[in-house]
Amino acid sequence: MPRRTPVLLWTIVRKEIVANLLSYKFFIAILLTTLLLFTSFFVLYKDYKGRLADYELVRAKPGEPIAVLPPNPLSIFAKGLDEAMTRSFEISRIGIDVFAGQKSGNIIFAFFPTPDFVYIVKVVLSLVALLFGFDQVSREKESGVLRLMMSNSVSRTKILAGKWLGNFLSLSVPFLLVTILGFVLINLDPLVRFSTSSAARFFLLVLTAIIYIALFLSLGIFVSALTRRAASSLVILLLIWAVTVFVVPNLGTLLARQMVDVPSVKALSEKQDQVWTREVLQMEIERRAKNDRGTGDIVKKHFNVINLELNQMEEDYRNRFDRLVRLSKNINRLSPAASFVYATTELTGTGIGEESHLKENVLRYKDSVLSNLERGEKQAPSFTYRYRSVGQVLSQGGLFDLAWLIFFNILFFAMGYVAFVRYDVR
Amino acid sequence: MLGTLIKKEILNNVFSFRFVVIFALLLVVVPVTIFILTNDYVKKVDEYSSRQNGIENYLKNYAHFNRIGPITTPSQPPIPFYSLVRGISSDVNMDKFDDDPLPVMFPLLDLVFIVGILLSLAALIFSYDAVCGEKEDGTLKLMMSNRLARSKIILGKIIGGTLTLLIPFTLSLGLGLFVILLNSRVGWEGTDWVTLALVLFGAVIYILLFLVIGVLISASHHSSSASIMTSLFVWVLLVLVVPNLSPYLAALISPAPSQIKMEREVSRLSDVERDNLGRKLEAERLAELVKKYPVLAERFSEAEAKARVEKDPAFREAYQARTREIQAAWDEANRIQGKKANDLQDEFRRNVGAQTRLSRDLSMISPLVDFTYLATDLTSTGTMNLGHFRRLSDDIWGPAYDQYVRGRIAALQKQNPAVDWWNTPVDVSDMPRFQYKEEALPARVKGTLWPFAILMIMNLIVFSAAYISFVKYDVR
Repeated sequence: MPRRTPVLLWTIVRKEIVANLLSYKFFIAILLTTLLLFTSFFVLYKDYKGRLADYELVRAKPGEPIAVLPPNPLSIFAKGLDEAMTRSFEISRIGIDVFAGQKSGNIIFAFFPTPDFVYIVKVVLSLVALLFGFDQVSREKESGVLRLMMSNSVSRTKILAGKWLGNFLSLSVPFLLVTILGFVLINLDPLVRFSTSSAARFFLLVLTAIIYIALFLSLGIFVSALTRRAASSLVILLLIWAVTVFVVPNLGTLLARQMVDVPSVKALSEKQDQVWTREVLQMEIERRAKNDRGTGDIVKKHFNVINLELNQMEEDYRNRFDRLVRLSKNINRLSPAASFVYATTELTGTGIGEESHLKENVLRYKDSVLSNLERGEKQAPSFTYRYRSVGQVLSQGGLFDLAWLIFFNILFFAMGYVAFVRYDVR
Repeated sequence: MLGTLIKKEILNNVFSFRFVVIFALLLVVVPVTIFILTNDYVKKVDEYSSRQNGIENYLKNYAHFNRIGPITTPSQPPIPFYSLVRGISSDVNMDKFDDDPLPVMFPLLDLVFIVGILLSLAALIFSYDAVCGEKEDGTLKLMMSNRLARSKIILGKIIGGTLTLLIPFTLSLGLGLFVILLNSRVGWEGTDWVTLALVLFGAVIYILLFLVIGVLISASHHSSSASIMTSLFVWVLLVLVVPNLSPYLAALISPAPSQIKMEREVSRLSDVERDNLGRKLEAERLAELVKKYPVLAERFSEAEAKARVEKDPAFREAYQARTREIQAAWDEANRIQGKKANDLQDEFRRNVGAQTRLSRDLSMISPLVDFTYLATDLTSTGTMNLGHFRRLSDDIWGPAYDQYVRGRIAALQKQNPAVDWWNTPVDVSDMPRFQYKEEALPARVKGTLWPFAILMIMNLIVFSAAYISFVKYDVR
């Protein structure tokens, strides 16, 4: 009788990797991932270059009261709100004129979300991870392999850990290789050239992506250990996936809108136009009555009213909008896909938080331009913007989203473990 | 015989696990989505009417012709179909400082999205093992041992699959429509129901297409686990990638300058360059004029000129000629530069138009896009409605409004020429108000013939391929 030797974890990991390498599934998954990631990198890199060229046209000359940011190089990977953030904000006495600068007139862009790295990972890589996990337990049960494996002196913990690690490696290694290769290739362009801090942010972005993918792998194994047949496991997983990735985040925002009363952008701008034209009309009438031709007190009085009312409206709008953002974030976080989008866009500086931070800065800039004008200086100060540091991003919700993703990971893995331990392998 | 096959497929599907799961999902997602969208629509209606009231109040008190242009600018009212289809109606207003960037991060969920993504996925889940699954079970062999044509089997599978998929879809949609009917604030008219029927017809063709794609893939594989991988691969490409990539690819193939680049160029043409040209033309014309009126060669200030014009009739004539020439020079400069700017804008519009058309054509490779276009254009929430709205506001309402303003001003000035009527509040209760009306249904249908046709053609092609592939299939 042969002596039973305990099976090493590494043996199982290797078995899983080899099995994957030879499978059709692996071939399809890697083909899809590579194809999509490279296409996405190329297309968004071109898009970035185009926007960079436009920025050169609109960038503020010294003394101009214009706040405009160059496009963020990391928007190649996470476009987020970068297009909104790189509009040019021109300060004038009566407010901020916005030129949706680097916007194209092509309406088809409005129909579907941008196919950036974040989108590919959020939608496609999560699906691929599920495909790696969905048949881990049920398929081996169906084929009888599981029974054979269990007849050796190997603990279920080891089998599960080996499966998880083996699949995780065969999924994440090609993904990392493609991603890093893309990053390096883009970095070759002297016009892009990521700074050290950008590279660090990119590293965090990829790390978040890995955590997100791992989560779906665990989920796949968990459901696989719940079901007797791989086919049912797949059906359940595909539907869970569709709900997490598409239904919850997209419905959540709409739901939040029902609870927070935010006027539409149209309504706000109509009200602003009304205030502004009303005051100018009254100013004209008063000036005519007093035969005042200069820019006297009347003008000042009415401009003050305009500024006061518009500022109040804007502040009110922004307060309500912030509340909407907070609520919709919390609802959407039910889905790890939303947490993933929040974490990655904030880390790369293209998220909602960064956008509102930029707006605060533009408003502060407006005040300083106006006080300069007040003092009779013709030259406006120049606008400088510092993206929030990684530390700030993490403390303002980023860490929560990361922790939330890790929590889902642990939860699914633990549930998978419990389900597997109780699994009837016959 | 075909009836038996279809019945077998339906029964087989209805009692399957996937049917139950998909049914449960749709039964929750569809009514909830429609419920939320309907509430949102009602909210939009309320806001729209309060906005209109605000405008009317303003007009009552402060209407004056100099500045009411921006106040009276027409805006798109919410339409009852918003409780099912949103299209590109969500307001991401990039032109204002206080914008609403949320839709950029997470697009809205509506019926088009549910059909486009969830139901196409469900169709593949139903059909990925239609052929190879039965082969694996051995039932295909048994079936073939009867006197059964392969064409009938495959037809039975496709029809049976579509009918089964329509059960959960129709029931959940019916539940959702019930929500709409119960809500007294949503007034659907006869044409709306016809539109809905057309959209649903499109949805059926779309779902059918994915079912046939699933059968084709299933008939080209011998194991269902490989078949599902290929199906998902194709699905991801058609539904999640091609639509999103196509505008970017179109921008690479047919580049168009950005809006800002064009605007900068136009402002340069009509600003610095016009001034230079104007000065040059003025100098040329004045040099010509000096030959005729040598007096003009002298240097004089504006005040001196005024004084001399009073005294010296000859100088007055020369000075008037000079004023005329200067005016003519600047008019010409304005005309030349204006034409240049116009040409540039036209070229820009042509380029953007070409790129938009190319994106549209490229994206139509994806059935999801075809369905999206046909559903949004039928329900007046797509690109066609943007054009329709522009026609209503610029070609119909705009001229009527201009005519009204001109007529009113002329009448008022006749009454009292001393008043600056442009800056005086006037009663404008008789001003023409903007009326939005959806484009007539036949025109909308005509605009969506292409996507319909493409979906049909795709169906035919994929079906023939599936048939051929099944005929050659080794059932053992």
